[in-house]
Amino acid sequence: MKKIIICLLVVMVASQYSCKKFLDITPIDKVTGNNYYKSVQDVEANITDMYGQLYDKYVQTNTAGATGEFRSGEAIPSSSGSGARAVRGDVALLGGHKNRIPNSGTTPGLVNIQVNGTRSDRYLLFAVAERDDAGVTNPTRFSALTKWGEYYRVIQAANILVDKLQEGIPSLNQDQTKKYIAEAKFIRNYCYFTMVRLYGDVVYYTNAYQKDPLPRENMVSVIKKCIADMRSSKNDLPLTVTDPSNRSIRASKSAVICLLMNMNMWNAGFDLGGKTAYYQETAALGKELMDEAQVSGAPRLLSLSEWAVVMKGRSEEGLFELFNSVNYNPNNIPFALAPIGDAFTHFPYKLPEYDNRTSPVVLTAEYMKKLYPDTKDNRLAIWFDEPFNQNAETFQMKKFATNSPIDGGAGSVNGLPDNTFMIFRYADAILLRAEALAELNQDADATTLLNIVRKRATSPEFPNPNGEPYGLKDAIFYERAKELMGEGSHYFDLVRTKRLTNRLYTDNYLTSDKYARGGWTWPIDVSALNNNPLMSLNSYWVGSGLE
Amino acid sequence: MRKQIIWPLMFFCCLLMCQNLMAQVKKVTVKGTILDAVTKEPLTGATIGTQAEGGKTQADINGKYTVTVDEGSVLTFTFVSYKSESHKLAAGETTVNINMTTDAKQANEVVIRGYVKRNRDQTTGSSYIITGKEVQDNPVGNVEQLLQGKVAGLNIQNNTGAPGMRGSVNIRGLSTIATTGTGDAAFLQPTSPLYVIDGVPLDADKASEFGFDQQGPGVSPLSLIPQEDIASMEILKDATATALYGSRGAYGVILIQTVRGKSKVPVIRYSAMFYLSAVPKLRETLGGAAERSFKVGQINKYGINDDKYRLSNTQFLSDSLNAYYNNSTNWQGIFYANKFNTTHNIALDGGDARFNYKVNLKYFSQSGLIEKTGFENYSMNMNMEFKPSSKLSFFGQIRTSMARIRSGSGNQVLQTVVNANGNKSTLQPGPSFLLATSDVLSSLNIRESSGPKNLSANLNATYELLPGLSLQTNGNYTYEIETQDKFLPAAANGQFARIDNFYGYSSELYNRNNLTYTKSLGQHNLFFNVFNEIYVKKRQQSYTRITGTPNDQYEGPSGYDGNLSRGAGVLDNFYDLRTASYAFAFTYDFKKKYVLDLTYRLDGSSANGPVDPYTKNPSVGFRWNITKEDWIANHTSKWLDQADLRLSVGQNIYPIGNLVDIYGRYNPNGFYNNQARVGIDFGRVPNPNLLPKKVLQYNLGFDATLFNSHLDITFDTYYKAVTNDLVSINLSNVLAFGSFQSNDGAISNYGYELALTIRPLKQSAKVKWTMNVNGALNYDVLVKLPAIFNGQYIDISGSNGLDVSGQFLAKRVGRNSLSNYLFTNEGVYATTAQVPVDPVTGVRLRNLVGNNPLNSYQGGDARLKDLNGDYVIDVRDRSVSGNTQPLITGGFSNTIGYGQFSLNVYCSYTAVRSVLNNSLAQRLVALSNPFGTNAVPSPGDLRIWRGTGDATATYANVYNYAHEQYMNNFRGEQTLWQEDGSYFKINQATLSYNLPKDLVKRLGLNAIRTTFTASNLAVFTPYSGPNVENVNNLGKDIDGAYPNPRTYTLGLNVNF
Repeated sequence: MKKIIICLLVVMVASQYSCKKFLDITPIDKVTGNNYYKSVQDVEANITDMYGQLYDKYVQTNTAGATGEFRSGEAIPSSSGSGARAVRGDVALLGGHKNRIPNSGTTPGLVNIQVNGTRSDRYLLFAVAERDDAGVTNPTRFSALTKWGEYYRVIQAANILVDKLQEGIPSLNQDQTKKYIAEAKFIRNYCYFTMVRLYGDVVYYTNAYQKDPLPRENMVSVIKKCIADMRSSKNDLPLTVTDPSNRSIRASKSAVICLLMNMNMWNAGFDLGGKTAYYQETAALGKELMDEAQVSGAPRLLSLSEWAVVMKGRSEEGLFELFNSVNYNPNNIPFALAPIGDAFTHFPYKLPEYDNRTSPVVLTAEYMKKLYPDTKDNRLAIWFDEPFNQNAETFQMKKFATNSPIDGGAGSVNGLPDNTFMIFRYADAILLRAEALAELNQDADATTLLNIVRKRATSPEFPNPNGEPYGLKDAIFYERAKELMGEGSHYFDLVRTKRLTNRLYTDNYLTSDKYARGGWTWPIDVSALNNNPLMSLNSYWVGSGLE
Repeated sequence: MRKQIIWPLMFFCCLLMCQNLMAQVKKVTVKGTILDAVTKEPLTGATIGTQAEGGKTQADINGKYTVTVDEGSVLTFTFVSYKSESHKLAAGETTVNINMTTDAKQANEVVIRGYVKRNRDQTTGSSYIITGKEVQDNPVGNVEQLLQGKVAGLNIQNNTGAPGMRGSVNIRGLSTIATTGTGDAAFLQPTSPLYVIDGVPLDADKASEFGFDQQGPGVSPLSLIPQEDIASMEILKDATATALYGSRGAYGVILIQTVRGKSKVPVIRYSAMFYLSAVPKLRETLGGAAERSFKVGQINKYGINDDKYRLSNTQFLSDSLNAYYNNSTNWQGIFYANKFNTTHNIALDGGDARFNYKVNLKYFSQSGLIEKTGFENYSMNMNMEFKPSSKLSFFGQIRTSMARIRSGSGNQVLQTVVNANGNKSTLQPGPSFLLATSDVLSSLNIRESSGPKNLSANLNATYELLPGLSLQTNGNYTYEIETQDKFLPAAANGQFARIDNFYGYSSELYNRNNLTYTKSLGQHNLFFNVFNEIYVKKRQQSYTRITGTPNDQYEGPSGYDGNLSRGAGVLDNFYDLRTASYAFAFTYDFKKKYVLDLTYRLDGSSANGPVDPYTKNPSVGFRWNITKEDWIANHTSKWLDQADLRLSVGQNIYPIGNLVDIYGRYNPNGFYNNQARVGIDFGRVPNPNLLPKKVLQYNLGFDATLFNSHLDITFDTYYKAVTNDLVSINLSNVLAFGSFQSNDGAISNYGYELALTIRPLKQSAKVKWTMNVNGALNYDVLVKLPAIFNGQYIDISGSNGLDVSGQFLAKRVGRNSLSNYLFTNEGVYATTAQVPVDPVTGVRLRNLVGNNPLNSYQGGDARLKDLNGDYVIDVRDRSVSGNTQPLITGGFSNTIGYGQFSLNVYCSYTAVRSVLNNSLAQRLVALSNPFGTNAVPSPGDLRIWRGTGDATATYANVYNYAHEQYMNNFRGEQTLWQEDGSYFKINQATLSYNLPKDLVKRLGLNAIRTTFTASNLAVFTPYSGPNVENVNNLGKDIDGAYPNPRTYTLGLNVNF
């Protein structure tokens, strides 16, 4: 009988063993949050996913072309497609016109623009519709630019990561934790900055697992918060990423500084009361970056003959890129129209020849002459074919075509040059610093900085009395337009400096009234109104735009 | 010589002995038979004893006993669940035959609380016991359906006739407002009570967790328990009764005790039932020429554009001389047929209090009314109880079952293919080898072998450490394999034979350790019960589908071909779940007059994650046995036998959500920059603060037995608050995630339950008559929704426009939880002039699409209320109406016994419920489609608009099909179809007859009982659809539902 009692007691005791452990289960069919963020690898994979999502969003359409170049109206599509390539009518609509460049046949010279109807900045609405009136899907997919959900996905992911890092992740030391926090903050602030430039006021939050709806917040205030958010953590990152496979692909202090400079310059254009402080901070950040770069040797401007290296990506000139390479995903070629180079190139930079005998889009000769009044500029030779002849048969912008097509040997495939998608570049930071100093009336320093960029292009230094009629500020503005052409910043420079309201600077100018009513923004897709009573759209693009 | 010596010796011996005896009373040997007063069955195992010495002898298999007692002593006869009888022996009386009556007083029942047996008069919770006898005479695949209408507050709707499947079960109203799917496809998540079988909890929702679109051959484990093996079922309703069962008891608990051996002489019982399942009345259709002339006439009268030209090109209508189209096929008759079935059960049991055993073997078979559907079950249950000493006892049990289930071309509950084909035009020729569509062939030629195989072993040991202190341990392991092999011949599947293969297993390990202590200190009685439980549950299922076997005769082998494989692998319902719980109960009573119950339970679950895995369930109960109070009893003893008051309050917490809901899920998303990407899943935002659902319940109960047991009354009133219910909120796209699981749903149920047992005749009367009446009134109110919904949520999803169709659910705070969201139908426009005209545009009231005058209403169209007054009927004109859940449920049972005959009639009712009569809607839609290939239902006596000026019509002009395509007069989402779903149903009538003893003896048997049962006899309802009960749990008469059969059963019970 005793034995039985003992047996029963053993069973009772055995069943009480460490209950907490008993209840902790690792599901084998999925990874749940309680089992994630346990190691450096988890954090790395998670951060890589955020960059990956940004990349996926960026290549949904030709983001850089649409947001940076086409809207200012100087890009004219060719009136007839070549081979399998469609007429890029949407590009014209973004620029507020319906003009075309007729085919010239074999004539190499300047072709007159075929003017169709009047200009209207509201043509943009047709370009961003998912389908045209006939129900045909717009091939350029510019509708992606009206959807901001993907950015918020990255923001939520970054917020959650920051939250987890602040809670503490085992197996991460303090430096790693700080570094990853800084990186996650860079990612989310990059998203906010991108959205502010596109939509103006946006919803801002940094809480992990945000679930309550929020209204849009004034963009100046959003940018201020972003600046404050990143300023505190920028020094936790290395100046540049030393691992060459991650250089300029993962966040670095240089990338953070460049983003901060861009943000300050944006706010300087809208928060007029505090603009001096923004210029000062931009100048200071630029100085910090350039001084540190001087010491460590990177980032630096590569020589223009090495331009292919810069566009290939991971160069010492790049500060932040969304990277793509044939080496990693030969079968995962992004949306064919995503690279801006595609619009401005033809055979032999674009294969196959029978489909690519003309450039689908050209830049007007007037615009090109405005940018390059002095033709002694290496960029013209390296980046263009026949830059001033306004002719789809001959004009090419080769800036994004220096690398071999992704499909390499297979000449019959519609290949894309194997380029990275450049977001921030060292030259951008240098010119922003120059601009800030010019605004602060420190012309001598500003001129020096401007000439650093010109020197690389072996372009005549400023001031250049030989056919360059601008003052310093305009010279810096045009220098940015030249240097950063196709990298998605020109239209935003027009917006933030309010040059958009002046027809001297753009073909698709807005009146001050339209500018004030948000004519420079992009429409927001109506789905933003779903499940959010506090949401409003950009009223300029709603109905007649006069509500 | 020898004799001469012996006799005197004996005489002297006797004298010597008698000298001893003379000082005492004379002994007598008494014989007799003990029978049930009503059924006249022998009560094997009843004990006979004297008051002085207690139980001594047991009655044998025939109810006979022999006992030697003192002359003139009082014999007492006792038997479980029968009223004790006593008989004073008269002088010289040697034969005492006793008819025992079942114990009517509920107060004397033994109930089970937290796995421990208690006397009912010392417990405070609300519960109801059903004896096994009540569930024997009607063969069913799932015994649960026989509980319908038997217990006040237990709402069972047998809403499917599919063999072996369950209906919906709710105790005390709604426990959730969570629905899966939206619009017409929505269904309410099941919140079945927890079943505990011989102390082992069982998950009855198992097969229904995927809803109507379930996959796999699962059946509820409840369907695998033979009804003959059930000794009693106890339904626990309030918090004090259920709190000890922890979180899984939040929706109520049903305890099932199986039969145990109790006769020293082994008893073998054989019972067989032979039954016919009859097809209920099906849809009436116009056949053959009637269909053709109807359709042609309709086109001639109302056709527009080139319809008449089209008619001449529609061969099946115009080419009446073509033999191919000259048919009158009864399509429904091809799929539906009456079925004959049998079940057999052999039970062997025996033993006494020290050692007893039982074996139950059962074969159950039920072919479905629909071709190729059915349920078969073979089961063997054994148990054994052994008490080596008065302190120690063991109980072991093994339950095994193998079921075979065939679901035809549908899934187990829905038969949409059959339903669609049953609707086919009668003009088409019936199925034959060359002339049949593949879906008809798939319903008729599918070959299927599937079903669960279940094995459950249970061991229970009890040891009394000290007087009053006992220790109990219980271990159970259940393993179930579910397989499904389906083969569809090529002709039935677009020329590619198809093999479907499903395999799944689930296992459950359960252990419970109990410590109880009873102590009496004078008039104070104390009782303690502490126990802990653990579960380890696992499940994995996999599925393979391959098309293209060599031919229709060979079901394999089929080599792998990527082109032919349609997916395979482990399904995502894999789980590995663990729970650990601790419970404590304390009962104190004073002179058995005042009873106080306190319970507390902690539940830890691996699904809640490691941060806070515990939920807590406390309860308090109080009972006052009024009639034990002398100052009351003295005045009332003439008419009041017993009365008590019960009051309880308690809380059950039910964990909702899982690790994914709380912490989110991380998915691999390919590569970027040649590095792996892992990101959070954006489907649902993780909610680290997710709270478990809380069910707080107050119960006030009153029991009384009056007028010398002529009347038993049990009355309960309760308030049940369900808070923290999950409500999914769709999120704004700036929040990146798709939806958020909010805890902000809350509903309250309150109601009254009354159960009466009436015995109008004297106990000594020859006719025994017992009536049970019960009813429950339950109100549910939606109390809270997430603030963002502003008090109302209508689950329209996937569309932003005003032109959405479908029967959506409306959840509005302040009214019943689940309502419909419909257009208000106010009859039919008698004339076109009655249609309101928009004074701005001059256009008559119209449907949303465009300004086309064809979209405007005219005479003969449905008069839908234009609620917002904009002269356009769109989604904004809908309003909240109706209640999908019944307000009143209950039942009524009548048992009359006379001599060897006994008649039981039992009925159930459900009242005040809205049912959407979609079958009528479809019937009318079918009337307005003359070019369609569907049969034309008979318009019957429906009040359809007859022509201009007909102001009293109910239904719009269905014949004007050309106009109907613009109007959608018979859209499902209107109040026209919302009908009163009240019904009174005669569930079952059973006539039983015990063959006379002497006849049985001559056959060499002990007892023969024959029964005749008719079930699902009649339904009385104002509802105009085919079957008011055959609707889903949201009150929708769904398309393709499996009809409930009417059955006629001949039963035979033989005791060897």
